[in-house]
Amino acid sequence: MTDFLNLILEPLQEVFAKFRTFMPNLLAMLVILSMGILAARVLRAVLVRFLMAIKFDSWSDRMGVTTLLRKGDLWAKPSLALGAIFFWSLIILVLMTGLSALKVHAIDQLVEQFFLYLPRVFSAVLILIIGYVFAGFVSRAVLIAAVNSGYHYAKLLAEALRLLLTILILAMVLEQLQVAPGIVLAAFSIVFGGIVIALAISFGVAGIDAAKRMIERETAEKHAKDTKDDIEHL
Amino acid sequence: MSDFYQTGIITTLHKLGTPSLERLEAEIREFSKKRPVALVLPALYSEFEGPAMQGIVRKLAKVNYLKEIVLVLDKASEKDFHRVREFMSPIATEVKIVHNDGKRITEIYETLARNGLDVGQRGKGRSAWLAYGYVLARGQSDVIALHDCDIVNYSRELLARLCYPVANPNLNYVFCKGFYSRVTNKMYGRVTRLLVTPLIRSMQQLIGQHGFLMFLDSFRYPLSGEFCMVTDLARVNRIPWDWGLEVGSLAEVYRNFSPRRVCQVDIAETYEHKHQPLSADDAGKGLMKMTIDICKSIFRTLASEGVVFSEGLFKSLSVSYLRTAEDAIMKYEADAAINGLEFDRHSEAQAVEAFTRAISQASQVFMENPMGTPLIPNWNRVTSAIPGILEMLKKAADEDNK
Repeated sequence: MTDFLNLILEPLQEVFAKFRTFMPNLLAMLVILSMGILAARVLRAVLVRFLMAIKFDSWSDRMGVTTLLRKGDLWAKPSLALGAIFFWSLIILVLMTGLSALKVHAIDQLVEQFFLYLPRVFSAVLILIIGYVFAGFVSRAVLIAAVNSGYHYAKLLAEALRLLLTILILAMVLEQLQVAPGIVLAAFSIVFGGIVIALAISFGVAGIDAAKRMIERETAEKHAKDTKDDIEHL
Repeated sequence: MSDFYQTGIITTLHKLGTPSLERLEAEIREFSKKRPVALVLPALYSEFEGPAMQGIVRKLAKVNYLKEIVLVLDKASEKDFHRVREFMSPIATEVKIVHNDGKRITEIYETLARNGLDVGQRGKGRSAWLAYGYVLARGQSDVIALHDCDIVNYSRELLARLCYPVANPNLNYVFCKGFYSRVTNKMYGRVTRLLVTPLIRSMQQLIGQHGFLMFLDSFRYPLSGEFCMVTDLARVNRIPWDWGLEVGSLAEVYRNFSPRRVCQVDIAETYEHKHQPLSADDAGKGLMKMTIDICKSIFRTLASEGVVFSEGLFKSLSVSYLRTAEDAIMKYEADAAINGLEFDRHSEAQAVEAFTRAISQASQVFMENPMGTPLIPNWNRVTSAIPGILEMLKKAADEDNK
């Protein structure tokens, strides 16, 4: 009978012992989470106040950041949006730190992977920001140049260029984030390569006559120049 | 039946004979292929509860030359907004409703405010200005027509005649103002009859012939709310947000374009819409508020044209105005008598007395602060301050209409 009771009690004691070991970790996680959430809220409030003090919203309006948010149907103030992004980034960090306090092997591995992935996220965000500004700049420059040259489809050209650059940048971002890199690379190569080949063929075929005229005109000009020289010598 | 006399320095397009509406609409339809026309309707939700809007929607459902209709809805909740969408659904032309109290449009106003662009208080001026911005952002129309939403006797002819002079590329007008008489069994339009015209003529007596005064005096109904213009004008014109909207808009047209490219057109035999109370004892509402705003607008425009105002001039103006307005009452009494209209001479005289007080108050305000102008910045300036604002506005309205 004692053996039978031991059979039941031993696992229970083992579970209780494990729970007793685990309890401080769980408490530590809860403390980290609650303190972290509080700290994140305070830091968000400080950041938003700071951004408002330096007139970040007006700067964003002028620089086109607000337009970008609105295009994505986000209607919060840029400072509040940035505050929210900052807050949720902190919450993720706090959550990861809290989970690591549990000292569970599987979770530790997950946390490690997360922190190893962070640099990729940062560089992807950087590529996205720089890429967006660059695409806007190039598109604007092409629009101005094309309008000044009297090109009828200036806006279309500028928008097409912006679209191509956006595809390129998004492909770079996905590649950096290691989101199905093989598929992204293949899809990008096919789409971009296809567009470039289509442009090359259309330009080549449509431009045969123009190229012929240019060559003929150049030859004729050279010929006329040579003839002119001859007459002057005479 | 109208005469064919040309008034002042702008062109007057009369209604002669019985012009065919079908011909007018067919021609505008042809013109609109090259010059697409947008109709702007500044409306309050309360106007959808009255009888006028039903008639307007019924008539607009039969109009087939408009490229787009932009309705700026003010003082409406989210539910009201959806009701109005349903209300406008019989119209085949693309109708876009800009919800002035919506979350997205409110954010647009906040964006403007934090960049130091004062768009004033809510009202017809601000609504019209926002609608122009939306038309510019869509970039689909070359001509903008605007009329009020409280016209009880609305007709397709009114809209067609309003649009025709600017839509017709051979006429080459940039701005066209509608005129009509406001008569039922008696004459209405007190502010035009007893204030604006006598005031302009008294000022001409005191300061001599002035281009702007001649321009204003050329309009048969300078306070009519119906007009049509080229889209470029919506880009360069500043719009007053107070009751000086009509006079202030005319001042901007005068400033930016030659009077030879401005016309007025007879759009209706008679015109019936809501009437404002005089509120003679309260300068903050009714016709008194309107009168003060109009006078301030005229004084400020003239001052910006180089006219020097002094206390003496304002004193003489009050006296001169009173005499001219009293003469006008006599003329209108005779006009009413021959046409068998009711005419309350006493209430007309009371209105003139109230307007005289309003002129004195306006002159006082002007002398204290001649710079205080309630003009909303033009869209060129706004886009210069916030380059993406038109895109934002388009997105806001388009998302609301989804």
